[in-house]
Amino acid sequence: MIGASSKTRSLAGRLGLGLGLVALVGALVLLGLVAVEYIVGAEEPITSVQLAHEVADHVVAPLFVLLGLVTLAGSFVIRAALRPLARAALDVDRAAQTAPRGVRIDYSGFPQEAQPFGAAVNRLLERLDAAADAQEAFASDAAHELKTPLTIIALELERLPADVGAALRDDVNALSRLVDQLLLLARLDAQVASQPPRDLVDPGSVASELVASLAPIALKASRNMALEDSGGANFLGRREAVAAALRNLVDNALRVTPEGGTVTVIAGPGARLAVRDEGPGLSADRLADLAQRGRRAGHASPSGAGLGLAIVAKIMAAHGGALCTDAARRELILDFTRTEGANP
Amino acid sequence: MRILIVEDAVRLAALLAEALAKHGFTCDRASTLSATEDALAAATYDAIILDIGLPDGDGLDWLRRKRGQSLPPILALTARGTLAERIAGLDSGVDDYLTKPFATDEVAARLRALVRRPGARASPVLQSGALRLDVAARRATMGEAPLELSRRELDLLELLLRRAGAVVSREAIETALYSFDVAVTPNAVEATVSRLRKHLDEAGATGILHTIRGVGYLLEDRP
Repeated sequence: MIGASSKTRSLAGRLGLGLGLVALVGALVLLGLVAVEYIVGAEEPITSVQLAHEVADHVVAPLFVLLGLVTLAGSFVIRAALRPLARAALDVDRAAQTAPRGVRIDYSGFPQEAQPFGAAVNRLLERLDAAADAQEAFASDAAHELKTPLTIIALELERLPADVGAALRDDVNALSRLVDQLLLLARLDAQVASQPPRDLVDPGSVASELVASLAPIALKASRNMALEDSGGANFLGRREAVAAALRNLVDNALRVTPEGGTVTVIAGPGARLAVRDEGPGLSADRLADLAQRGRRAGHASPSGAGLGLAIVAKIMAAHGGALCTDAARRELILDFTRTEGANP
Repeated sequence: MRILIVEDAVRLAALLAEALAKHGFTCDRASTLSATEDALAAATYDAIILDIGLPDGDGLDWLRRKRGQSLPPILALTARGTLAERIAGLDSGVDDYLTKPFATDEVAARLRALVRRPGARASPVLQSGALRLDVAARRATMGEAPLELSRRELDLLELLLRRAGAVVSREAIETALYSFDVAVTPNAVEATVSRLRKHLDEAGATGILHTIRGVGYLLEDRP
């Protein structure tokens, strides 16, 4: 809402004000007529009681009857005419929470006067979609084009003496991770917009696949991985996105876990996936801060930590789930229990 | 071992070929799919490193067209991890994949693993560091010293060595080691693994066999 000041008085208010003015002018005119007929033009003077009766009969009663009917009819017409606008506003609001793209308002029921406004809103939405598509395509192409030179740099670095190369190689890996995450963000937006069919996701199989694929990397970095089954239940979601969210949590966990430690992925209980690390634990405030921070890409750390959690938060929001932390147990939890199709 | 590198970024292909040469691979290069066809007609390769995006077509489509023909094992290169998952998931003819950027050690390890697979022109000796297993002779050695392993321990070692560097699930081990009519007690696999680990520890290969709790086991792929 933009400034609900006196300038944005409601239509009902304007109608009331207009009718009030009509009543005032009408009453004055009618009073004048009564005065002409009974005071100036009368053969014999009338008493004030008679005058009051005449005023009531010819001025007050007709005004009340007419204004009452006009008010009723007016407010009915206004409400009926504005209902499609209110509905369109509700649709746009609801759509903005889940699918920010492909939204158009249905203005066929709008009053004729509001039709150009409806068409203009849709043209604006179309332009916003096109801009988002273009940005996504750019991000996707850029990520692709960046990977080949990054590989060349990585291979060139291998020719340097080990001590010089190692630090630079870490930088190349961090850069590559950032590119991956930007690409994932772009793909997530595309998925949300196109709303592909949702899969029945089994937390146990997502978790075991991920542990199996990341364990070799963890072992090379002198950390181990484990899987705990706490009785997972299937839920509806995008398997690839769920796996990406879990992978981001594991990447994070491997970074904060000291050498020799173990990162444990927990499937369940119910429609949940959790990652336990051996780091200091993450408070709810800090988690909210990190998940928020990455949204401002300029503040994302080059290690990708902030951006990673922001991606996880985004995936969870798209699923109607939540990213929670249990600092005491050093767990980050992907909670899908409130998503569609989840068995509580 | 002779490898064909199919990659349109010429400098990347040259760097990779040079680096792999130090690991004992002989590499030919092709930068288009038609050059790849020519190379395959002219020589026999132990494995192909295939970039997915090429100027004259998509590597995956090309593989699909070649289905049914005998090709060497394929190691696919891709720019994005999420796409890689789909490559592995689809029955596309890709045997393994790597996400850019990668290190040469990683490429060499994956190539060795591909060539080790059953059905490949496999060398009959599997190896990780000083640990060697002669598959045909059923004989395991650590350096010069022989390892005294039971039949089941040898089967397990072969399974782990064939997929060295990757996690082998407990289910896969159960299926491979025990016939279906024998009831497997829950800790039979664990017991076999711990006996094998004891043998390896005593022979000096400490810490080469890892337990990934809840999933399976991993034998390190040591150069």
